[in-house]
Amino acid sequence: MAPRKHAAKPPVPAPPADAPRATRFVATKVEIEGREETKIVELPDRNPEPWDAGTPLHVVGQRIPRMDAVEKVTGTARYTVDVHRPGMLFAAVVRAAVAAGRVAGLDASAALAMPGVRGVLTLDDVRGIRADGGQLLDDTIHYAGQPVCAVCADTFGLANAAAAAVKLTVETAPHAVTAEQALADGAPKVRARGNESPRSPRVIQRGDVEAGLRGAEITITREYRTPVALHSALEPHGAVAEWEGGRLTVWESTQGIFNTRRDLAAAFKLRLNQVRVMKDYMGGGFGAKNGAAAASYIAAALARQVGRPVRCVWDREGEQTDAGHRSATVQQVTLGARRDGTLTAIAVEATIPLGIGGWEAGPGRIYHELHACPNVRTSEKFVYTNEGAMASFRAPGHTEGAFGLESALNALARELHLDPLELRRRNYARRDQVRDRPYSAKRLDECYRQGAARFGWTEREARRATTSATRIRRGFGMAACTWGAGGGPPAYATVRLDRDGSAEVLTGAQDLGTGSRTVMAQIAAEVLGARVDDVRTVLGDTERLPFASNSWGSITTASVGPAVRAAAEEARDRLFEAAAAMLDAGVNELTARDGVIGVRGSERTITFADVCGRLGDVMIMGHGSRGPNPDGTAISAFGAHFAEVEVDVETGRVRVVRIVAAHDSGRIVNPTLAESQLEGGVLQGLGYALFEERVMDARLGLPMNPTLHDYKIPTMADVPVIEGFFLDEADVVANHTGAKGLAEPPIIPVAPAIAAAVADAIGAEMAEIPMTPWRVLATFSTAAGRQPSS
Amino acid sequence: MRLIVNGNAYDLAVAGHEMLLGVLRGRLALTGTKLVCGRGECGACTVLLDGKPAYACLTLAAGCEGTAITTIEGMSASAPAPDQLHALQQAFIAHDALQCGFCTPGQIMAAAALLAENPHPTEEDVRHGMSGNLCRCGAYPKIVRAVLDAARRLADARGA
Repeated sequence: MAPRKHAAKPPVPAPPADAPRATRFVATKVEIEGREETKIVELPDRNPEPWDAGTPLHVVGQRIPRMDAVEKVTGTARYTVDVHRPGMLFAAVVRAAVAAGRVAGLDASAALAMPGVRGVLTLDDVRGIRADGGQLLDDTIHYAGQPVCAVCADTFGLANAAAAAVKLTVETAPHAVTAEQALADGAPKVRARGNESPRSPRVIQRGDVEAGLRGAEITITREYRTPVALHSALEPHGAVAEWEGGRLTVWESTQGIFNTRRDLAAAFKLRLNQVRVMKDYMGGGFGAKNGAAAASYIAAALARQVGRPVRCVWDREGEQTDAGHRSATVQQVTLGARRDGTLTAIAVEATIPLGIGGWEAGPGRIYHELHACPNVRTSEKFVYTNEGAMASFRAPGHTEGAFGLESALNALARELHLDPLELRRRNYARRDQVRDRPYSAKRLDECYRQGAARFGWTEREARRATTSATRIRRGFGMAACTWGAGGGPPAYATVRLDRDGSAEVLTGAQDLGTGSRTVMAQIAAEVLGARVDDVRTVLGDTERLPFASNSWGSITTASVGPAVRAAAEEARDRLFEAAAAMLDAGVNELTARDGVIGVRGSERTITFADVCGRLGDVMIMGHGSRGPNPDGTAISAFGAHFAEVEVDVETGRVRVVRIVAAHDSGRIVNPTLAESQLEGGVLQGLGYALFEERVMDARLGLPMNPTLHDYKIPTMADVPVIEGFFLDEADVVANHTGAKGLAEPPIIPVAPAIAAAVADAIGAEMAEIPMTPWRVLATFSTAAGRQPSS
Repeated sequence: MRLIVNGNAYDLAVAGHEMLLGVLRGRLALTGTKLVCGRGECGACTVLLDGKPAYACLTLAAGCEGTAITTIEGMSASAPAPDQLHALQQAFIAHDALQCGFCTPGQIMAAAALLAENPHPTEEDVRHGMSGNLCRCGAYPKIVRAVLDAARRLADARGA
């Protein structure tokens, strides 16, 4: 889904701090996927004191088992692909097999004549509906794999047979599937208005880079290349759509039910209250499922046409070619520095092919953020190509940029004979340099210190000496990361108690497998004084739940958590009011723990169940919302990774031995779930570093490896020792739970840390990922005769 | 033909080309077994045929007559009561060996097959024995721990 430009809307001005509150609605800044957006926020009635280091917490911070784990280990968790509605039909799509051209003929009569085939959808049925920025089922072909027609039938097998029976005549046209092809003289027009994005080149600068380079005592220039990477979520994009009268219900595998509802309502010209989007369980998103997908428009359009529910789910090849990707990049990096390592200038020229659409996720921004440097300029060229549209992919932009920035910094350290960790310490950014403002909290220095200590960074030469096999070279490397992870409004939650004392948290967020269900229940249980087992979180239904935003940009805990806390406080206050009368005590004398309310300094107690039971059908309920972010403050997460590798210099094979990952994401609500995400991010980063590369045949314009066999994601046999940990210190300025985002940061520094370790092992720098055996061997051969650097 | 799935008999007319995965998911509503790649690359559809692991996406249903088929729904005595779960299921929960959970049924079935053949696996045995089961969330380190823990628990239970 394309991003929205938010600059056009005039924000409601915030009142001065000393003015009486004139309005409930003020503007605040929220950072999402590296983009800062202005959001209107409703000032909450409640603004609880932050949970700081001294606040005694009993449930938040505990290793509570994932609350939907039983459903997942028993196979009873229902994913979108498992939804089966009475009378449901199955859709299959016909895809273009060329990168560019025109549909000259489309004859579905043979398909429609097959028994059990119920409907056919072509361009004329969906004119005006746009998916990924382009016309759905367009008769102009923009990329190989583009859907041009869809059918539905009684079974999935029949639908596939019918799709194969559609006679498609295609006139091919010249294509441009790489940035080089799209930018060449006389290149075919990928988009009518030109092959570069209207926002290209995007030049961002501060200071005077030329002066910084003139003042440098050492200058290095490098070129880094990163591949197209595929999200490869195991549950593909898909939806089940059903119409009742004029109302549309859609089950969709999505990270954003409300965005999906907005998209569907616009496409089918419905009021928002005529569309219901649901998502219960989902088999991975990683950024690619942020709004209505082509599959859901197709399901809804077919369902309307045939008057029956329709399930449309991408097959694996569709998922690997037509479901978004992380863009490739070429980054030319020049660093200027003094002999002591102080950076004087950073200059970057980058080229990023987007595919046919998407948004400008560039590698540039992290160059401005991560290390102190007064003079920085990045210039990013965004190019449209005849590939499927890019999509956000776990820390989009920063992951690509970190490979260039951190690799360049490690190269500079080698040239200066400086410890790469010491080089980073000498360029420590104490303030947010992009907007010249303080950080709410920044403990990257502690990540460096604790990570290095756990890793044994200073003992690495002794460890290198233990390598006995002559063909195995051992190496060590490190890299850092930052990511805007403060979250923000709007987000709403309701907490309610039933007459047996059990509680529900209601909020329109999503749990992608991240653990949001568990985290929200923990926050509510903490405030209520309930047993966490007595709290259930209900997510993922636009019709029944209050708004929460997409689960993207690592924002859910920091955005929705405070709303849940506020809602639970209101519910607790009501509960205590009722209990006070029953206990013949003052409300302020009451405390609650494990579902039992007690009176301070007394033996009198009453359980939640007793209070609620005596109230009968009176429903104890509280509502809460997320307040604004603090003005003039940057809220970010940080981390540092340390990697050890073994490289077989005869085969070029890299084995990652271990990775130590130290992260600062504020308070950790559930360390077990946080560590799971941290390890997952490290492993996706390891795949990006070593294996993952969507291969495109530039001449044919066709992707060559749209399967899980040929597009290599890590397996259990590739897993190194991962020692991941969080500093776990509340960021009390960020929001009143003290938590920040943690899903995306762990992928960012992995590839440059491993690349640095490989370079350390073979004595030559790695300029391109993935570091496949042949790339490692080629690099090693250029360094032949040289000794491994120390 | 008659299919025996998790101890229950189902009499079905099955076409020659129908895969077991489609029959389980589409006709028996046993949707715990997942379709991910459809060509034996990922392990998400792993089931047990007479105790041996098989990819349901590549297994013809018609060939399963007389075979005891076990799916994830057959692993626990009475799902979803936590005390009725298989040791592997309990260990997956205890070690948080899952995130989105989509690959989890296949992981547990592959682990069950591994432990049936090798009740005392080493960490290397688990890593290699289960390297055909993909997980995109990256739960691997915890899956290894969960399988080793379940193996110990099952061994202890046998010894008791």
